[in-house]
Amino acid sequence: MGKVVIPFEVVKIAEDIKAMRIRGAGRIARAAAQALKIAAEKYVEKKDLTEFIKYIDEVAKLLLSTRPTAVSLPNAVMYITSRLKRAKMKTIDEAISLIVKLSNEFIEYSKVATEKIGIIGSRRIQNGDVILTHCNSSAAVSIIINAHKQGKKIKVYATETRPKFQGYITAKALLSEGVDVTLIPDSAVRYIMKKVDKVIVGADTVAANGAVVNKIGTSNIALAAKEARVRMFVAAETYKFSPATVIGELVQIEERSPLEIVSEEYLKEHPNVKVRNPAFDVTPPEYIDAIITEEGLIPPQAAFLVLIEKYGWVIQDYFMKEFKTVKEEYEEWY
Amino acid sequence: MVKKDVALLVSNIVENIKEWNIRSSSGVAEAALETLAKIIKLSSSMNELVNNVTYAMHEIVASRPTSAMLINSFREILLNLKQGLKKYMKHEEMIEILLRRISYLIAKSRSDIEKIATIGANRIVDGDIIITATYSKTIMKIFEKALKQGKRFEVYVAESRPGDDGKIVASELSKMNIPTTLIVDSAMRFFMKDATKSFLGAEAVAANGAVISKVGSSLLALVAHEARVRVFVASSTLKFSYETIFGELVKIPHAPEKTILNEETKARIGKGLKVEIPLLDVIPPEYVDAIITEYGVIAPQALPILMKEIYGKWPPEYPDLQVLIGEIRSWVK
Repeated sequence: MGKVVIPFEVVKIAEDIKAMRIRGAGRIARAAAQALKIAAEKYVEKKDLTEFIKYIDEVAKLLLSTRPTAVSLPNAVMYITSRLKRAKMKTIDEAISLIVKLSNEFIEYSKVATEKIGIIGSRRIQNGDVILTHCNSSAAVSIIINAHKQGKKIKVYATETRPKFQGYITAKALLSEGVDVTLIPDSAVRYIMKKVDKVIVGADTVAANGAVVNKIGTSNIALAAKEARVRMFVAAETYKFSPATVIGELVQIEERSPLEIVSEEYLKEHPNVKVRNPAFDVTPPEYIDAIITEEGLIPPQAAFLVLIEKYGWVIQDYFMKEFKTVKEEYEEWY
Repeated sequence: MVKKDVALLVSNIVENIKEWNIRSSSGVAEAALETLAKIIKLSSSMNELVNNVTYAMHEIVASRPTSAMLINSFREILLNLKQGLKKYMKHEEMIEILLRRISYLIAKSRSDIEKIATIGANRIVDGDIIITATYSKTIMKIFEKALKQGKRFEVYVAESRPGDDGKIVASELSKMNIPTTLIVDSAMRFFMKDATKSFLGAEAVAANGAVISKVGSSLLALVAHEARVRVFVASSTLKFSYETIFGELVKIPHAPEKTILNEETKARIGKGLKVEIPLLDVIPPEYVDAIITEYGVIAPQALPILMKEIYGKWPPEYPDLQVLIGEIRSWVK
């Protein structure tokens, strides 16, 4: 049994993800799929199939260790590896070509997902709508731009999104397409809500019960929208759905550096002030009218359906061996 | 027209108010009254006095039309002025009366803060985790008194954009050795589940018990209400808005763009970017559990009862500020 050597290009991708040189849920997922593909193509010792599977497992482990909380990354990796394990391969060449095929499939699926969401979501926007969005979501921006290109007259409020001002990126993307954009501070979301027709935000993770983990402040907005009876839409590709939550895992909320909120001098001058900086919050499903996925619009409570359809195998292979879908259990007994 | 020195004093305070350099709403009223006193002293005749005072009041109120305390204090002063004019009072004597009225109003504001702080501190118990937003002189005093009573509690404060008042609140509380945590405005709901109480200051209280306060306050109150965390608003009765009794809507002033965005960043984001920064928002009475006034704790909906107590009748007979200004101006023509 030889030592596993991971190709340089693959290690580089892993490092880039870890150092956040590759950012954004979609890009991370595609980079991981790409890394697996490269790893398979660069495999040289074409002797033993079990050795090869072991090697791919090592690559997967390396990729998974980069960003433990981002759900799109494990979804991409497991999408490929769980299908690989189930396909009864006879030769290494067969396995390699399967990985290449699965990787291409995933990359293609994730690439078109955002655009499909843009088209599906844009149908919910009417002429004259005032839309509020938060942070920077490619899927939410895609919806707005699609609606704008259909000739619908829309006005967008974008929150500045403290602490890192991702609202600027959203505003820039929309302005360059000629959309009417107004920037507001995050504190003004309830004030502005009475002028808003629809809220559209993205998601970092969708849990099995339909709760949406997204940029801090999303749940403030969802509550204010609910109070004002404004529709709340979450735009999320299916690779944002978390299989681990099906078996009861909690989504960990990352807390980031205080320096994103205050300066180093402020911290030095005020050693007694604690600064807490959670990056995400959880919006309960009852505040969300629909999640717009590339497969269609679903009520958030139906997130389970997406998870079973897309990640049923992943759940069995990676989270709970005895886990079975209803269909599988039925087939086993009858 | 007014003289240069008066115009300068007025434009100074107006700018400070508009750019949110004076953070607390009681602070705004006190600073305005102090400026007014200076302007009164600069007046060398009755005509000039009336001109200066009405000019200053008009400009200052226009910069902060929501501040009930500003409007109420100015009205008291104008009523004195009107009475003096009726009696053909000498201008030196008039000045003395007006200055005395101003000192009384400033002193009342300060003593109200003290009384409210005593009552508010009584609501704090050991182990409380209090969440607040924006800078309020009265709320700071409540924390100070509770600490003096030996109560052990923690404070979470939202950054409170625009103006980042929360950073100053955190700074002052930490100097008092009160355990303080600073969070972004967006994190209000995230941390609300840890909070036991919420305290907010007020800019004005409307006739239906709605509270006008710095923007973000109504979001905090909504989030607190959802989590069943009690919301206490500290407000002197000087901040009760009489105009709203007669259906006048409170107009929300907006902050200049530069309070959240510099020119360079704006240009980088793109051509045509609009910016909207409301300075205040309105908390509906159903989200407020109690208003702590200098006369005690009341339900927001009980505001008319307290007004009747203070003014002897309901509705109180109080002339509109702009009408009063017009009347007094016509007197000197």
